[in-house]
Amino acid sequence: MSVVGKQLNPVQNASSASNSSSNTANSANEANNSASSVAASAVGVGVGVGVGVGGNSATGLVGPGADCKRKPLEESNVSPEDVLHLTKITDDYLCSANANVFEIDFTRFKIRDLESGAVLFEIAKPPSEQFPDGLSVEDTMLAAAEELSLEDTADPNAGRYVRYQFTPAFLNLKTVGATVEFTVGSQPVNNFRMIERHFFRDRLLKTFDFEFGYCIPYSKNTCEHIYEFPNLPPDLVAEMISSPFETRSDSFYFVENRLVMHNKADYAYDGGIIV
Amino acid sequence: MGFLTVLKKMRQKEKEMRILLLGLDNAGKTTILKRFNGEPIDTISPTLGFNIKSLEHNGYTLNMWDVGGQKSLRSYWRNYFECTDGLVWVVDSADRMRLESCRSELEVLLQEERLAGATLLVLCNKQDLPGALNSNEIKEILHLDDISTHHWLVAGVSAVTGEKLLSSMDWLIDDIAKRIFTLD
Repeated sequence: MSVVGKQLNPVQNASSASNSSSNTANSANEANNSASSVAASAVGVGVGVGVGVGGNSATGLVGPGADCKRKPLEESNVSPEDVLHLTKITDDYLCSANANVFEIDFTRFKIRDLESGAVLFEIAKPPSEQFPDGLSVEDTMLAAAEELSLEDTADPNAGRYVRYQFTPAFLNLKTVGATVEFTVGSQPVNNFRMIERHFFRDRLLKTFDFEFGYCIPYSKNTCEHIYEFPNLPPDLVAEMISSPFETRSDSFYFVENRLVMHNKADYAYDGGIIV
Repeated sequence: MGFLTVLKKMRQKEKEMRILLLGLDNAGKTTILKRFNGEPIDTISPTLGFNIKSLEHNGYTLNMWDVGGQKSLRSYWRNYFECTDGLVWVVDSADRMRLESCRSELEVLLQEERLAGATLLVLCNKQDLPGALNSNEIKEILHLDDISTHHWLVAGVSAVTGEKLLSSMDWLIDDIAKRIFTLD
């Protein structure tokens, strides 16, 4: 059993990933090296957190079940039904970073292979950055952003976007466990619901729809989804491998049916391939 | 991946099952949850909220909720009762000093209307520890024989060795499945 994930500060890492596109490839190689002695070595893991695209003043929902008129971000009235009917990844974030009034903070993401027990990916906020005294989420982000260049700090969506780099072997896994860990602020949270949509181009691969329900004030919570990897036809797998970052996901978080957070991720499966 | 054999029981039963793990702090709820799901159990800290495992298999879902057991958190347990099919009450079999408070907390839960339909599994954890009471002794102390409102089973287990953990959970899923789905 080998842990090949890395613990990185997602915010800090956002700067390095955006500064250099080769960064992701480098970290993938490091992970490959560290895993090379175990059976799971084919599943290399790279970590890179990039900066989201767009996200300026307005947004629009695309797809059936939602009209396409553009609304100010702050008045987002996107419903769970709307996002469940999306037919592709959204062009933009459907709520502003300020919509997170409950101070819900994701502190860890982890992916493990149930067959081997190997942790394939892990990224966590250092404990010192969790529950900082007297600082709001925005203050924390700002403090972290001070280390970035001006250009980077101009993007309000840093930290809402994660980039995953895997080797092709990842697509052969049978059973996978995906864990999120999050903290909530001083207010109790009711009817907390996560909807996650995974697409390759315009093809829907997987939907998660999970009701956390109630969250205790100042609590730290974890949720692991253990699921069988979708059985994908070989030609699709080949296409996904040869089309890095065209596999993407939207994660929508609702509190009492109001969208409070929207995170994005994209995925590459060509890590370790020597061209 | 022992849970996969358990999940197979859910076929032709229902789409979703909800199991709630409760008990005093330090009883081993999170360790049991992790052990059952094939995770390492060497670094487990007190739960200051909940841990959920959602197992999806052939279109069926088994959701397990482990909620922190510290005294300050127990008043929040009620928020997790809704739709619970199975209640797992975890006992630290070596913590003799607190078995009385363990008994009274369980008694309160069993009077809870929203748990009325739930099957009860009492896991006497830490059987690997010297000085642990066995499941018969704990059955007496917790007055389990007096329970007539719930299907129940008591078992001595060890989250560390895995002893009897799988067979107990297997019984729980089986009992829930038998009880609920008489409509089809």
